Amino acid sequence: MVNTFLAHDLLWGMTPEQLPVDAPAWVSESISAGQPVVVRRALSAPDHIAVGVRGRLREQRFATVMSIDVISRRVKPEDLCHVSIDRDVPAVHALNQLRPMLDDCGWVWGVSGSAGFELASGFQALHARSDLDLILRAPQPLDRLKAQALVRILDTAACQVDMQLQTPFGAIALREWAGPARRVLLKNAREACLVIDPWEQAA
Amino acid sequence: METLSFEFPAGQPPRGRTLVGCVGSGDLEVLIEPGQAGKLTIKVQTSVNGAEQRWQHLFARMFDGQTPPAMAIDIHDFGATPGVVRLRLEQGFEEIGHD
Repeated sequence: MVNTFLAHDLLWGMTPEQLPVDAPAWVSESISAGQPVVVRRALSAPDHIAVGVRGRLREQRFATVMSIDVISRRVKPEDLCHVSIDRDVPAVHALNQLRPMLDDCGWVWGVSGSAGFELASGFQALHARSDLDLILRAPQPLDRLKAQALVRILDTAACQVDMQLQTPFGAIALREWAGPARRVLLKNAREACLVIDPWEQAA
Repeated sequence: METLSFEFPAGQPPRGRTLVGCVGSGDLEVLIEPGQAGKLTIKVQTSVNGAEQRWQHLFARMFDGQTPPAMAIDIHDFGATPGVVRLRLEQGFEEIGHD
């Protein structure tokens, strides 16, 4: 099976038996409860995928790998743009507010982080102080002026909104790309590095 | 949330100041300003608790065998990996070097 999973995808099908023996108890509890795992940006064997398990607390994040064979369901961030939930928290208000503007921006966008997790799974992950994490698929270069225009849109929202641009070579933070830094942090499965052009293959 | 402080011997203060990095999970923001001659001070505000040793090691290794400029470094960390921390610090040092 060709490995087409992307960072931030949510996957179901993992069972506690597939966890390493040294995994903390809360990890097994999360999985047993039917929570999905989140695809991480990391290298793994061809028949496995690097994933993260979320716990209830902020510092409860567990990195592991999942066998591709056991995946029963996959939800991508872009599948969640038009899912609505009835929750009175700033991140949900921000999402409702930004949705029409992002739909008009001409790029594929998606919801990640705790908002994406809750929208996809129904497990409560958002709280009153949660940021809204979004992704934007950017197969072609998005110039810095357009990035600044996008930041201005995001800054009208009810909470802090962090958007990651997914280029063919990794991910960068929209805010940094819109800022004055000459080089920006690009993260991919292999490494994190500072690059001038995130749409150019590294040497 | 935890605030940590570190101090290292240093040379003369740099002239410039700079802000590099980004607010957002897995990243950090680094503010570098001229410090007091002879002293490099680092303040780290981090969302990850119990990592004082790891920061100490990381800085010690970075400044090992050299006399860094006397900087006052202010870090806001959002769970960055040591690799990302090192990249951001190097980026900041490069920026103040340019002024």
